[in-house]
Amino acid sequence: MGRKIPLLVLVLAIAGFCYMLFPIVVVVLAGLTAGEFLTFPPQGLSLRWVVAFLQSDKYLSAFFFSFRLALMTMIVATIIGTAAALFLSRTRFVGRAAMRAFFLSPVVLPGVVVGFALFAFYISTGSSISRTIWGLWIGHILYSTPYVIGTVGAALAAFDISLEEAARSLGSSPWRAFRRVTLPNIGHGIQAGSIFAFIVSFGQFEVSLFLSAPNSEPLPIAMYNSLRYQFDPSAAAAGIFAITLVTASVLLTNRLVNIRRLLERQHA
Amino acid sequence: MTANRTGRTAGRIPGFRRHAAWLLVSPLLVFFIIFFVIPVGLLFVSSFNPQIIGQVGITSELTLDNYSRFFSRSNYMAAAGRSVLLAGVVSLVTLIIAYPMAFVIAKTEHPGRNTILLIIVLAAMQLDMVIRLYGMMVILGDNGLINQALRLVGLIHAETSARLMYNFGGVVAGLVQFALPFMILTLVGVIRRIDPSLEEAARSLGATRWRAFIRVILPASMPGILAGSLLVFALSISSYIVPALMGGFRVGVLPIHIFQQVAESARFQFGASIALILFLLSAGAVLVYLHVGSRRSGGLA
Repeated sequence: MGRKIPLLVLVLAIAGFCYMLFPIVVVVLAGLTAGEFLTFPPQGLSLRWVVAFLQSDKYLSAFFFSFRLALMTMIVATIIGTAAALFLSRTRFVGRAAMRAFFLSPVVLPGVVVGFALFAFYISTGSSISRTIWGLWIGHILYSTPYVIGTVGAALAAFDISLEEAARSLGSSPWRAFRRVTLPNIGHGIQAGSIFAFIVSFGQFEVSLFLSAPNSEPLPIAMYNSLRYQFDPSAAAAGIFAITLVTASVLLTNRLVNIRRLLERQHA
Repeated sequence: MTANRTGRTAGRIPGFRRHAAWLLVSPLLVFFIIFFVIPVGLLFVSSFNPQIIGQVGITSELTLDNYSRFFSRSNYMAAAGRSVLLAGVVSLVTLIIAYPMAFVIAKTEHPGRNTILLIIVLAAMQLDMVIRLYGMMVILGDNGLINQALRLVGLIHAETSARLMYNFGGVVAGLVQFALPFMILTLVGVIRRIDPSLEEAARSLGATRWRAFIRVILPASMPGILAGSLLVFALSISSYIVPALMGGFRVGVLPIHIFQQVAESARFQFGASIALILFLLSAGAVLVYLHVGSRRSGGLA
């Protein structure tokens, strides 16, 4: 393994991984500390903050609010994202690359600006969904669908369309050929995409900022509001549950699709 | 119909099916137009309306007052400059930290080990930023782990603390934490596609491994370096949560000003003009990124 890698590069890489992962380890330790606050050296482990989280109205209700919102987002993002990925993989229309870039653009554009735009849009059109779960839902779909398009697009790029055409030429209807031939081949890609949509929504902060109300706060907003004033170890305990959820999701994704291929795919 | 089918080339949808295919993309297209293009467009139109506190809707009166206010007040211009400087510094620091990590991932040939490294990067990328910042604050805070350790070994006095956050450096540390996975994933694909025979040629001509790395591999990864840096620039200039928590509202960047104008002062039109300026800075970096890097970066990054 180290044969081709200069020693200095290897040492720097290990230091980089420590930098990337240490804060996550610290959150787990802070949630499991026996003291009032994570100290150095640590004061020993206890489950008191996990229990406090499970009994706290604020974090537990925010956790379930986020969970519900992420499920709602996942369903819509998976359906409309998969359909759009199918279109993008099969069309030769000249604006295809631009359309793909347009659908992926929310990932990198400022979430605060998009959240503000939606907030102003809801108010000025007189709709009552600003500061409700429905208004958040729309914002989260915008930010989750790109991940479905990316993941399903990768599965479609690996799928040989002539299989579906063979079924068609043997007399299958378009829907039947899709359902019996294409869908089983890209099914794991769709499941992986839906998991991404779920996690992205679950951890979404920026677009939620303008769209949340005190009685309907997703978990990241609730944690942010408490972090501004104090380090509440029960927020870290909530973090442990979120870390577990994300890790399990990524491991599940790895069972469904080849992560190496997904992450290193060249754009068509 | 049957005759039509035989003449088909792979992937092409003939006749009316080509129009039927548009049905697949129309739900998302309509959704994006109604809830992305129109709201953002209306927001930008409202930035050309006169500033009326509490007023949200569009009026027919057009003015450049909000922009002249922005460009004539030194604190807003300073915020724009600080945002650009911050995103630039973060791009550079992230590149320096991410490159060795991406190099090791790209050169790890064992498929299992390689997958584990990618899973770690992907999990870090997907994890809620607020949680990662909680960890950063516990480490870097005035009573954080580093300050406690420094007091323990006597490097600083018991009652004092080293300022590791609530300043520019703290925001950089948080944004690097946020941007690392994106940079790594962009670089891994590019490094992996560098022809190994280039390095072998340099080595067989007598270059040391280190020299071959500096003179051959590093220049060959320039497209990924450029694409990753632009991506990180766009991501970090857009972030609200990192300057808010790591800067404690003491590092005034554009997203912080937008939130303060809108949520605290109800100045929607002026907030919209800052939002347009931020959007253009971020979208500008994205457009250059698409131009230089679209065919070289990873599928999700």
